[in-house]
Amino acid sequence: MSNQKESTARTLTVALLVCLVCSVFVAGAAVALRPTQEANRQLDKQRSILSIAGLGEAGMSARQVRDLYAQRITARVVDLETGTFTDELDPTSFDPLAAAKDPQLSKALPGQQDIASIKRRERYTTVYLVESEGELQTLVLPVRGYGLWSTLYGFIAVEGDLNTVAGFGFYQHGETPGLGGEVDNPKWKSLWLGKSLFDENGNLAVQIVKGNVDAQSPKAMHQVDGLAGATLTSNGVNNLLHFWLGENGFGSFIAKLRAGEA
Amino acid sequence: MGIRAFLDKIEHNFEKGGKYEKWYALYEAIDTFFYRPGSVTRTTAHVRDGIDLKRMMITVWLCTFPAMFFGMWNVGYQANLIFAQSPELLAAQEGWRFALTGMLAGFDPNSLWDNFVQGATYFLPIYAVTFIVGGFWEVLFASIRKHEVNEGFFVTSVLFALIVPPSIPLWQVALGISFGVVIGKEVFGGTGKNFLNPALAGRAFLFFAYPAQISGDAVWTAVDGYAGATALSLGAQGGIEAITAQGLTWSDAFFGFMHGSIGETSTLAILLGGGVLLLTKIASWRIVAGVMIGMIALSTLFNALGSDTNPLFAMPWYWHLVTGGFAFAMMFMATDPVSASMTNTGKWVFGILIGLMVVLIRVVNPAFPEGMMLAILFANLCAPLIDHFVVQANIKRRLARNV
Amino acid sequence: MSQPTIKEVLFNPVFANNPIGLQILGICSALAVTSNLKTALVMSIALTLVTGFSNLFISMIRSQIPSSIRMIVQMVIIASLVIVVDQVLKAYAYSLSKQLSVFVGLIITNCIVMGRAEAFAMQNPPLLSFFDGIGNGLGYSAMLIVLGVIRELFGAGKLFGYTIIPVINDGGWYLPNGLLLLPPSAFFLIGLIIWALRSWKKEQVEKPSFTMAPQVSNKEAF
Repeated sequence: MSNQKESTARTLTVALLVCLVCSVFVAGAAVALRPTQEANRQLDKQRSILSIAGLGEAGMSARQVRDLYAQRITARVVDLETGTFTDELDPTSFDPLAAAKDPQLSKALPGQQDIASIKRRERYTTVYLVESEGELQTLVLPVRGYGLWSTLYGFIAVEGDLNTVAGFGFYQHGETPGLGGEVDNPKWKSLWLGKSLFDENGNLAVQIVKGNVDAQSPKAMHQVDGLAGATLTSNGVNNLLHFWLGENGFGSFIAKLRAGEA
Repeated sequence: MGIRAFLDKIEHNFEKGGKYEKWYALYEAIDTFFYRPGSVTRTTAHVRDGIDLKRMMITVWLCTFPAMFFGMWNVGYQANLIFAQSPELLAAQEGWRFALTGMLAGFDPNSLWDNFVQGATYFLPIYAVTFIVGGFWEVLFASIRKHEVNEGFFVTSVLFALIVPPSIPLWQVALGISFGVVIGKEVFGGTGKNFLNPALAGRAFLFFAYPAQISGDAVWTAVDGYAGATALSLGAQGGIEAITAQGLTWSDAFFGFMHGSIGETSTLAILLGGGVLLLTKIASWRIVAGVMIGMIALSTLFNALGSDTNPLFAMPWYWHLVTGGFAFAMMFMATDPVSASMTNTGKWVFGILIGLMVVLIRVVNPAFPEGMMLAILFANLCAPLIDHFVVQANIKRRLARNV
Repeated sequence: MSQPTIKEVLFNPVFANNPIGLQILGICSALAVTSNLKTALVMSIALTLVTGFSNLFISMIRSQIPSSIRMIVQMVIIASLVIVVDQVLKAYAYSLSKQLSVFVGLIITNCIVMGRAEAFAMQNPPLLSFFDGIGNGLGYSAMLIVLGVIRELFGAGKLFGYTIIPVINDGGWYLPNGLLLLPPSAFFLIGLIIWALRSWKKEQVEKPSFTMAPQVSNKEAF
């Protein structure tokens, strides 16, 4: 019997059968579950955008998130070169992070300009608008950059005046828990609310300072406390904000939007 | 009644079957602290030498005294300097340390006594906690394992107390020394079997567990609410110019008039104690020389390479020597005979490895301004490997000779 | 060898023959996913199910598997199960699967799964094998949950994300131990747990690999 079990034909048959059964099983599961997974991915993103924009509560159900998102948020693709909206790309399917890796859709950043250490910047990216009665209420911009150990991915939301911060947070990073990881601390995130990004001359002024902000200083409205014991993560966050709000990021887009030309 | 007579009188209580049999380890420790051990080698292996492990450890302990006393004075001096500059901070201080210093002395940076008392209120509690908590573990393990308490702990405790910042909370001191003694030493079988330096293991534990209290700018002075960057973190931001801009000259740093961990600031005091260790051959001169060579070589290489973005590349070796915990760790930690390499060639390699690693961590790693602790722990891990290769090379060489 | 009972195979691996504590298997994921209790629990469930079902399926076809390709066949079955579990997690517990990242996929390489398949399922009937797999999964789970509780409670003052000890940053009194949030801390903890386990169950202590020769007395030497 053992001879028969070890024969080549038998071995091949068993291998083939096992592979067949397993692949059907795996493929079946993958296909059947894909729509749910896709919906989850969307939901996750929508949830973080809503929370940055200050809409809804933390414990919302999937349906509430979807409804609120559909109701309040408009996603639009922006051409970072010209600083204008573009309708060439569909915001629901366009993936800016994938585009940043595509040489056709992105440009390499020379060392001097690349203060956020992201190496390549995509040409088009998606921004999210909260409008009410045709007026822009909140603008949510994706940002990313290198901290101490990892790239931080997040959003910053600004109010309709395109100056006041309405929310700031990261949805993905790998900083040291307890130190740089405190970027997730709700207390720290709440420090950002109401800060002004630009000074009266329209220059980028927002800044993370070491230690605590001196409340008496005239610059206090632009400044946020650094994370205790995490100078390099704080610097990274500062740099990535300066990059994305500067001329290589959303600078010209914000300028045009303010002038009503976007 | 002399101590000997007293000890002899109570001895029977601690022997097998005695009332306090469980406490024999403690009795033995106290007995041999005062007198030579009564046990005599009865077997073939026999070396006659005036120095045994006990005397060796006591010598190391005594050798830390210059750094310890200078450290105590300096903690007070640094604090009082700040008070002299900004009296509003003095008014804002509170707590028993402050009250005690106020009672026994004043806050004049020019008064030796004032500075010393102020520093002592910081150092002595740290040392006491280290000693009591660490000693508790030592005695506990010695009692359970039925061996005597080892004097290695004298050294571990004083070293640990000297490498923490003055403002460290005492419960963290207790946790740190517990980790150092239990995980760094006892789980591997106690003194002589540990492969890490227990004091450094304890500090590393605190460093990763409670980084806010042992790194950064706010912890190095004995003043609440004052943040003063150490020379190394200043250097990381602006190079030597940034350090000297703060009024810190090289000779200040060498003599130790700067803030930092309690016993680490004065290179001079450390070299005094370390010199005795080298003369008495307790510390291996090969390791110390190796550390110096490695450090000088790599920092000189970095000086030559240069860098636009990293000012520490330009830091010369004599600054590396006097900043951070370099001198202290080189003299007292790297030379720990248990966790270092055993072979002579191995000691060179071990020392050079530390020297290279410390400069590498200080200069290139963005997260850790000081690298001595991690460099030595890393070299501790490599020490058995280094010895292995040295021994293998020696065996090969001798085999080749005898073909 | 008499056949073990279901009860034996189910509960022995929890304390007496813990896959992590005694066999020191599956350490990698035990370090990576235990920084909070939630991921530890999900990982435990995932691994327990995979070990159970892979044992079941392999045992069912054990007499058909030619021994020359048995490893590969086991691997294919385990891998398929892991992929399915990964897909299910992505579909129904998206945020958790994001936190677990590659570690669900890495169950494939977890020595416990492969070890039980090769050591037990190849020789024993399906039902018994199934329970053996579940039992070993439970042993793994027990260790992971203990680690998860300690690390999350003392590292962040929380359990399942709910505050148990208020931490200083949020106005409480507890200063969280940051080391516990880093993977190496699980090494120390596992070591301490093994220490405790072996002090309790002395039979788990390994025999020393060598013993020192007694010292020779003077008389014998000469």
